[in-house]
Amino acid sequence: MLFKDQVDFVTQHIKKNKLRVFMTILAATMGCAFLIVLASVGFGLQESLRNEILSNETVTKIQVYGDTTQLTEDQIQEIKKIEHVETVLETINVNAAAHSFFEDRDTHSNVTLTDMQDFEQVNGKLAEGVYPSKPNEIIVGYHFAQTLLNEEERNVMAEKSKKAEAEGTYYDGREEGYKESLVGQKIDLSLATHDAPNNETEKMTYTIVGIMEKPSYDWMIDSSIHMDKAQKAALAQSLALPEDELFYSEFNIFADTMENVKPILETLKDKGYSVYSVTEQLEQMNVFFLVLKIGLIFVGTIAVLIASIGIFNTMTMAVTERTREIGVLKAIGASPKLIKRLFLMESTFIGILGTLIAVIISYAISITANLALPLILKAATGEDVFATNDITFSLIPWQLVVIAAAISIGVAMISGYRPARKATKIDVIQALRQEL
Amino acid sequence: MIQVENLQHTFLIGKRGKEKQVPVLKGVNFEVHKGEIVAIVGKSGSGKSTLLQILAGFMKAEKGSILVNGKETANLNETESAAFRLRQFGFIFQNFQLMPGLSAFENIELPLKLQGLRKAIRQEKVKKLMDKVGLTEVADHYPNELSGGQQQRVSIARALITNPPILLADEPTGSLDSETEQDILLLIQSLNRELGLTFVMITHDEEVATIAHRRFRMYDGELVKEEA
Repeated sequence: MLFKDQVDFVTQHIKKNKLRVFMTILAATMGCAFLIVLASVGFGLQESLRNEILSNETVTKIQVYGDTTQLTEDQIQEIKKIEHVETVLETINVNAAAHSFFEDRDTHSNVTLTDMQDFEQVNGKLAEGVYPSKPNEIIVGYHFAQTLLNEEERNVMAEKSKKAEAEGTYYDGREEGYKESLVGQKIDLSLATHDAPNNETEKMTYTIVGIMEKPSYDWMIDSSIHMDKAQKAALAQSLALPEDELFYSEFNIFADTMENVKPILETLKDKGYSVYSVTEQLEQMNVFFLVLKIGLIFVGTIAVLIASIGIFNTMTMAVTERTREIGVLKAIGASPKLIKRLFLMESTFIGILGTLIAVIISYAISITANLALPLILKAATGEDVFATNDITFSLIPWQLVVIAAAISIGVAMISGYRPARKATKIDVIQALRQEL
Repeated sequence: MIQVENLQHTFLIGKRGKEKQVPVLKGVNFEVHKGEIVAIVGKSGSGKSTLLQILAGFMKAEKGSILVNGKETANLNETESAAFRLRQFGFIFQNFQLMPGLSAFENIELPLKLQGLRKAIRQEKVKKLMDKVGLTEVADHYPNELSGGQQQRVSIARALITNPPILLADEPTGSLDSETEQDILLLIQSLNRELGLTFVMITHDEEVATIAHRRFRMYDGELVKEEA
């Protein structure tokens, strides 16, 4: 029998028992939708936490901590030789605040020194401009221009902050500051140690050649200054302090891809380094959520199994009702395989249609939950935290759809299998004796 | 064309553990030649229906051999038997055995669907045959909208549609009035004459058996040849 004729045969029978098949599909839909929505909560929470962890961290970064933080040149070379290590970035923090002057404006910020080539490799794209290539060139944080204020703006900002405070909010000063591009501009910079903030050094002139990307958190204000580590000597000289008092190095190792972080971590740990990567935290979290998701899918599967009882009943009734027809089909030459296939197709159809509708409904529920729940929680608790933070309450990745579809359609086929087998066992003689 | 040798079969009757053996076929032998109508007559319970069912492959005999066109069919499994039926046999049943949800046209088309033929070819074949057996007018009618005679014509057309060399008929006129019975018997005779079809027919009606070229009588599990 051609596949199309088999499909026609099945649909004809379904049409004859519309209500019964509809109710069975409804049960299959409810079971499958319950499974997807329940498990989507696990996926949603995992996604929320994952985003929270990754939003401020570079996933390929491996931090060095403990007694081994100050790496020697030999150690750096050794680490660089490990497979898949992209670079070892030394960030030198300056134990002094920088006071920058531009036109009638000024601001205070931190200064860090790095090898600009390494920094470019790790940091990637800038919001504007290029990385420094000459001794007196620097790049500044995204909000550097915003923090460059004159007297008048300071007063305006103080007023706005006071007003915001009275309303219970916070004003970040986004309306003030220098509005033009700073790329190509020259600024004067003097340093002062944290111990003697008023004892500022003589001004040095630097050219801003690049602006860093916006920080991933909205609330973060980045007004830092980054310069090449060749400036180390000049800075130490102007403050007249020994280098080991003024500078403190921080080393970060960068892997080429996220997948390679783990083997690098293991190699470094074997070599006796104290290292940490955010992926370790993710890994532990992933194990926890894997167990949670399996648990949720298991509970959801129970609903699918309950629905399968309906499919079993429907198919058993279908076979019983059609005993005579099956007898005739067998008598005129239908093979037992074909009879079995026709009934399996019917139960599979119920499973597929139920799953399709369930997937659509589940996505609708998921989207609605993500939109409505923050508002409901805000109304219930009076706190804005759920509405502003991007919490995903429900997430349906394609993997979940595939798992749920496999479970639902698989269970539908299994529940249809016994009735289908029963159909093949029907005795032609007995069947033909049945009255119309 | 059909050669049956020493066919034996026993039914077990009664409760499990206390079954009684009832022999229904006690070594049946007969032959059917190409292009003839053979009638097997006998009273109810004589074993004639069992003989036809074994011949058709609906059940297996305990012992014996059945050769159909040179092929041994007594030991075929269910799938082989179904495939063999689809190619070699056409069936005409006493109570027509039409599919109630299918029209006359679709009922006749069904064996062609089982053979996996394309729709266009099927429709052409069915139309031709319906025309031949005088059913064109009722092509779209469902079985419950047809008279007994028309239903049996549809049943005969369904049996003929695959061009099988042998037609097996189980009381083909058992559910018809005498006038319609004559119509159907004439149809069988004309199909035999014009298309050279072989008919094996079982009946308890002596008059129906008169159209046969050869006649066998089934009596208490044994088959005896009678003069036609």
